[in-house]
Parts: sequence; C-alpha cells; structure tokens
Amino acid sequence: MKIGYTLSLFREYLANYIKTKMTYRADFWVEVVSDLMFSAMNLVFIFVVFQHTPSLGDWSQAEVVFVYGYFMIPYGIFGAFVNLWNFSERYIVKGEMDRVLTRPAGSLSQVLLENVDPPSLIGSLVGLGIMGAAWARLGLPLDWYDPLVLIVMVAGSVLIYMGIYIALAAISFYSDAPTGIVPLMFNIQNYGRYPIQIYNKGIRFLLTWVLPFAFVGVYPAAFFLERHHHLLMAWLTPVMGAIFAAIGLAVWNHGVKRYRGAGS
Amino acid sequence: MISAYVDFIRIRFLTMLAYRVNYYSGIVIYAINIGAYYFMWKAIYGDAEQLGGFTAGQMTTYVAVSWMARAFYFNNLDREISNDIRDGSVAVQMTRPYSYIMVKMMQGFGEGLFRLLLFMAPGMVVVTLIFPIELPTDPVLWMIFLVMIWFSFLINSQINVMTGLFAFFVENNEGLMRMKRVTVDLLSGVVVPIAFFPGWASEVLKWLPFQAITYLPGSVFTGRIAGSAVWEALLVQAAWFVALIAPIALMWRAARKRLFVQGG
Amino acid sequence: MLAIEVERLRKQFKVQKNREGLKGALLDLFKREYTEVTAVKDISFRIPQGEICGYIGENGAGKSTTIKMLTGILVPTSGKILVNGYVPYKDRETFVQGIGVVFGQRSQLWWDIGVIESFRLLRKVYRVDERDFKRRLDELVETLQLGDLLNRPVRKLSLGQRMRCELVAALLHNPSILFLDEPTIGLDIVVKTEIREFLKRLNREHGTTILLTTHDLQDIEALCSRVIMLDDGNIIYDGSLEELKSRWSKGREVQFQFSDPVSLQALSALTAGQGVRWTKENEMTAKVWIPREMNVSDVLSRVVGAMEISDIKIFETNTDEIVREIYRTGGSEKTAEAENGEALPAMAGADSRD
Repeated sequence: MKIGYTLSLFREYLANYIKTKMTYRADFWVEVVSDLMFSAMNLVFIFVVFQHTPSLGDWSQAEVVFVYGYFMIPYGIFGAFVNLWNFSERYIVKGEMDRVLTRPAGSLSQVLLENVDPPSLIGSLVGLGIMGAAWARLGLPLDWYDPLVLIVMVAGSVLIYMGIYIALAAISFYSDAPTGIVPLMFNIQNYGRYPIQIYNKGIRFLLTWVLPFAFVGVYPAAFFLERHHHLLMAWLTPVMGAIFAAIGLAVWNHGVKRYRGAGS
Repeated sequence: MISAYVDFIRIRFLTMLAYRVNYYSGIVIYAINIGAYYFMWKAIYGDAEQLGGFTAGQMTTYVAVSWMARAFYFNNLDREISNDIRDGSVAVQMTRPYSYIMVKMMQGFGEGLFRLLLFMAPGMVVVTLIFPIELPTDPVLWMIFLVMIWFSFLINSQINVMTGLFAFFVENNEGLMRMKRVTVDLLSGVVVPIAFFPGWASEVLKWLPFQAITYLPGSVFTGRIAGSAVWEALLVQAAWFVALIAPIALMWRAARKRLFVQGG
Repeated sequence: MLAIEVERLRKQFKVQKNREGLKGALLDLFKREYTEVTAVKDISFRIPQGEICGYIGENGAGKSTTIKMLTGILVPTSGKILVNGYVPYKDRETFVQGIGVVFGQRSQLWWDIGVIESFRLLRKVYRVDERDFKRRLDELVETLQLGDLLNRPVRKLSLGQRMRCELVAALLHNPSILFLDEPTIGLDIVVKTEIREFLKRLNREHGTTILLTTHDLQDIEALCSRVIMLDDGNIIYDGSLEELKSRWSKGREVQFQFSDPVSLQALSALTAGQGVRWTKENEMTAKVWIPREMNVSDVLSRVVGAMEISDIKIFETNTDEIVREIYRTGGSEKTAEAENGEALPAMAGADSRD
C-alpha cells in the first residue's frame, strides 16, 4: 500500500522532472555530457597510469577497466535516485524541510523524489558497455547465472551508496551549520575501484567496513574476474548493502526526530 | 575601501570557523585522500625508480603538496555567484559601492586562508610524519611556492567566477559547473601530473590555464622545475592571471547590460 | 467542536553561543557553549471550528514556533496539543492530510514549470480523487481568477499571483484547518484585499478554520473575530478584536475648526461636568478628548449649539496604536496616561523573519 503510493508519486515527480528539463534543454545535454566526462576523466587516469606500468598490484589494465565499468552501473542508478548534494543548503538552511513535513508522505521519499535525476542512468549504460568490452577483451566465460549475480551485486552496491549518502545528508540535521562533507566524500569513493591490496591496512579497513566503497567496485566485480575470484567478499556485497541502507535510514529518521525537537 | 574588502576576508574566515563538522571531517578526508593516492602511486611505481620524470619520492611529495594546495585554492565561488544571480540578490549587490567580483574573490580568499592556516599547516605536519616526504630546505623556494599558490588561487577563482557568471546567460548552469569541476581536477594535475600524459596531450595542456593551478607550483615545490625555469613557471601563472581578467570584464559588462534591459 | 486545543504548551531550544572575535571563534571550534531558550512558555488556548483567529506578536515572540508545533513540524517540549482530533507530531502523515499550510516567504510550487503541474502533483501527494480535484480546482481558480496563470511557470509570476497560487496549493485537498504564516507579506493593497476577501469567503462557505500570523493589523481587522497576542512566549491577550479595542483604547478625540477665535476657558465651561479634556491647537482650532464610555454626541450637542463650527474631525485610536501600547506596557496593566504618537518602535518589519 505504502510502497504503491510512493511508486505512484515517483511517476508524478518524474513527469515534473521531465517538464522542467524540457525548459532547459541545452542544460540537460551539458549535464549528460559532464556526467560522461566525469567517467572519462577516471578512465583517462587509468589509461595514463598504465602507460607507465604494466600492472597495478597484480591487476592488468583490462581488469581495472572492468572494475570501473562495474562501478559505473550502481553509481548511475544511485545518482538517479539519490541526488542529495544540495540537501543541507536547500532543505535546512532555506527551510524547505518544513514544507516537506507538512505533506502526507514520508520525508525521505519526498526529498528523494523531489531530486530525481534520470540522466544519471546513461552512465550506467555506458558502464555496462565498458564492462562488456573489458569482459570480451579478457576472454572471460559467460555463465548463465552471471547476469543474475550482476543484478544482485549491483543492487547491493546501490544500497551501500544510498545508505552512506543518506546518512551524510542527515548530518545536516545535527549540525547547525551547512556541511560541506558530501563534496569532500566525493574523492574517497574513487578508491574502492582499485585493487584493494595496494593500500595499507588502515585504508583497506576503512574502504571495507567503515565507508565500504570497495563493495561498490572491486569486491563484487572480482566475482566475475576468475583470477581475483573471492567468493566471500563478493557475496558480502548484498549483505553490506542491507546493513548500510538500514544504517542510513536509521540516521535519517533519528535526524528528522531531532530536527523536530523530539528528544535528541 | 580596502579595509571594507579586508573585512570580507575576515568575515568569511570567521564563518568558516563556525562550521565545526566541516573542519574536523575536512582534515580526516584530506588525510585519507593523500594516503590513498600515496599507496596508489606506490603500487604504480612498483620497482620502478622513475616514471614520467618523477622519482617515487618526488611523486609522494607532489601528491601531498598538490592536495594541500588544492585545500587553499579550492572554493565554491561558481556556485555562490550563480545562486546570487538566480535568486536575484546580485542586483542588490550591484547597488553597493564595491565591486561584486572583488567581494567574491575576497570571500574566496578568506575561505582559502582559513584552510591554509587550519587545514594545510597542521595537515602538512601530520603528513610529513606519516609519509616519506622530502620538503625543500631552501627558504626562497618556500616563498616562491607561497606566491605560486597565491596565483593558483587567483586563476582558479577567475575560472570559477566565469563559470558562475554564465548563470546570467543560460537559465541553469548546473551542468556547466559540474563540467568545470571535472575539467579542473583532471587537467590541473591534481590527479595525474601533466608529465604523465602522452606527449601530444601534455603539449596541448601546456597551452591551457589549468596546469598553472596545480602542476606548476607542485613541480617547483618538488624540485622538478629548478633554476631559471622557476621564474618561467611564475611568469606563465602571472600571464594567465592577466589574460583571464579580460573575459571576466567582458562577461560582467554584458551581464550588467542584460540585467538593466531585462530588469533582473 | 474544537479545531485546536492547546494546553500548557512549551518549547525550548538549545542555541549555540557564538563567542566574539577571532579568539572566540577559535575557542568555539573546540568547545561549544549553549544556552537554553524558551520560545513558547506554557501557553493554553482553544479555537473552535469555523473561527478565524489572528496570532500576532513581535518578531521572536514565538509565533512561528507555535505554528510549527500545531502543524506537526516541531515536537513540543511539554504540554498538550490536539488539532483536528490528532496529536500533530504523532501521526504526522495522517494528520497533515486534514490541514493546509502556507508559509508566506517560502514556496511550495515547482519553480520552473507551469503552476498546474504542481497542483497535479499535490493531488497525488494528498491522494485527492480526480473528480474532486477538478471540481475544487475549478472553484478555486474561479474565485481567485487564476485562469490564464495556470500554465505559466512560477518564476514568471508576480508575488501576488504566486501567493494566490500558494493558497490554491494549500487548499486542493479541502483541509478543515488552514494555517497561514504571514500570508500578505510584501503584497500590495489590492492583492491583500483580494486575499482577505477570499479567506472570508472560504471560511463562510466551507467553514474552514483559519489561524494566521501577521504583522499587518489590517489583516486582523478585516478577517479575525478573535485575536491571540503573544509576547516573549506568553499569551498577553486572547479575545475578540472589539474587546481588545475597548479595553485598551484611550477614548476618542474630536477636533473642531471654529469660525471665530475661541478660548480654552469658554470651551471647558461648555462641557463642565462631562469629564472631557480640551486642548487648543491654534486660535481657531481645538481638540477635545472624550473617554471611551461616553457618547461623542453628548459632547457634540453642547458645542454645536453654542459656537459656530466650520469643520469637525473624529479620531478613533486605531488598532496599530493599541497594539503598540500593549507591547510597550507589557500588556498586564493599562495606562491611561500614555500619549499618542510617541516615538515607539514600529511593529511591522516586512523583511525580518520570526
């Protein structure tokens, strides 16, 4: 019932999004291009680096590119549905949260719906393409269950991202000043896409358990790479996804409670 | 008049101090960034002595110093300006007896100064203790480096101002701002030193203003550029600073005209 | 039946203290100090269904905090609230279905697209049936004359047009209580009057209970049968506007323009025993102060019979002055001595927020 209602709202918000974008058509394309350029920049980094070295850890260029392609899929989906970069500024400082709280729908779903950003999904498609190309290049076998596993892994990765960024956005409920943590975090998420063993223990621990960006990159992608197959870490992806989504939700709900001044 | 501008620096400095969460998380995140890149470059170097003209030691220093410089020159002037334009407060600013762009630059400087003193200085000490960084011993070099990151700040802010002013001419410049962020990070040399790019690419990049933001000061600091070449690098920065004044002035004039004609 | 019931409602906030200067700011970075501020101090009131109630007070008196508690945005520190039979902060999502909220300084409409699109979306959010929605929208569009605005994006609307659209947005789901926070702020007189007329009609035809905060006392005079006045988190007056006027009004003044020069003695002699007070403005003009409980006509009849008069003006103390006076004296006791037109801080700060 509740999910059906939220989904029906999603359609409406999406329609409004499309109408808004139609008024700014040129901008829409700039946005798509800049998203792709962002990915291109990371690929350029990989290509430039591999001009100077045959391997990173013991990972080849195609393998690193494969991980990057995987990363783009959950990242694009996440970007389409969780677009909270402006949350603190728009909802807390400018006070739009008050309006959200006078509406008969969940506060998080309203905030997420008001900011849907579908062009981000183009990145997912490009990522799928890159992954496919690297797959062929590496001559990996394609088992019947691979697409299903990919869906589960991507879902887990998306949930991890959602959990982390929702929790980060919710920090604005606690701090009375606008927070600039989210853009800073932007850099950290990149590190989960490189072979985890190149880092020292501290950073490895951080990327695995604290800010588990490695589960949005190297761990789940390695499932498909025979040479780096690590079943346990790969299958932890959906588990971590569930845990972090729950954490994100809990932090959000607690934050809203605090915003409304109910205990603290 | 000057004292009014100085006051803008002071106020922004104090404002930054008020954002406690940002401050603490900023230190941690910058440390993680430097750490992650350190290990990544270590893996890239493997057993190699020298890549792209950088020794492994120089590379470590380059990574640390370019992130620290980024802390100083980075600001969100583009977003601030385009917000001012979109909500119309720029018209109010124009009625005040100061130059709007100067005020914005001053505010950016206040922010940079805050990060220089409270992020960069303590951060540099910590990073020097953890990682094998080779700091130059020549005090003259330190002075030159300070002048160079001052130019980094100016050039980066000029690019931000231009990006922000685009909000006068397009309805929504969100995409443009994203594109700028990506471009600056990739082409300025924070992520990969320009010497690592293939020959033709680094040749092209030498003719763009971005390398003056990170690559030149980083190279001077690590001693990759020495002797009279240092003065050349400084000259390149100064030239870009002067060259970028003209387009900003033109854009500002056109913007004012547009504002008068359309009434905001 | 009661629309709103509030008992011993209290709200406290922890406010961060900012120490002065660079040294203070550096200290704040490491250790913060907080002070507790009580914005609303144990207030109680009841508003029956179908009433239009004005909620007034100076900036920072606690108006917005109260409204936010009544609409379920904030949770009170202590006390009891019942709105529409619900405890607002508990079943928030069910509760808000029955209320409409307009914040005068914030928009609830999509900035870039036609107004009608925002309305359609709100229809979905509030789960309004398509037929009801159409009927309701037609009615609102007609009364507020929005016909040709519906397809325009909000950013192309004037403030007055936008405010009318905000009202529609808050009323599409036919709420039984409407909360308005500064609904006429920044609007010109024509639009203000239109909005007042509309609210009156809404109240008359649908029995909608309306609670509004405002700095414009003309809103109150035009709309409200009841006024609640807040000062520093306490209710200092709760009752009808008429009673407010009669309790605090300092009487009336009548200015006479005579055809010939007059003397104060002569005038005082005319009204001997009536308890009025004369003042002379110039040779041929004099003013008489008449206490509230006395009829103006009693005084007039004595003067008109005895002197030749070229002009008469009657001054009623207006609500603005009364309210200013109440704030000045803290509201508890009334001072008959107070003079009009003293340099008092103006009530309305159009650009400042609560």
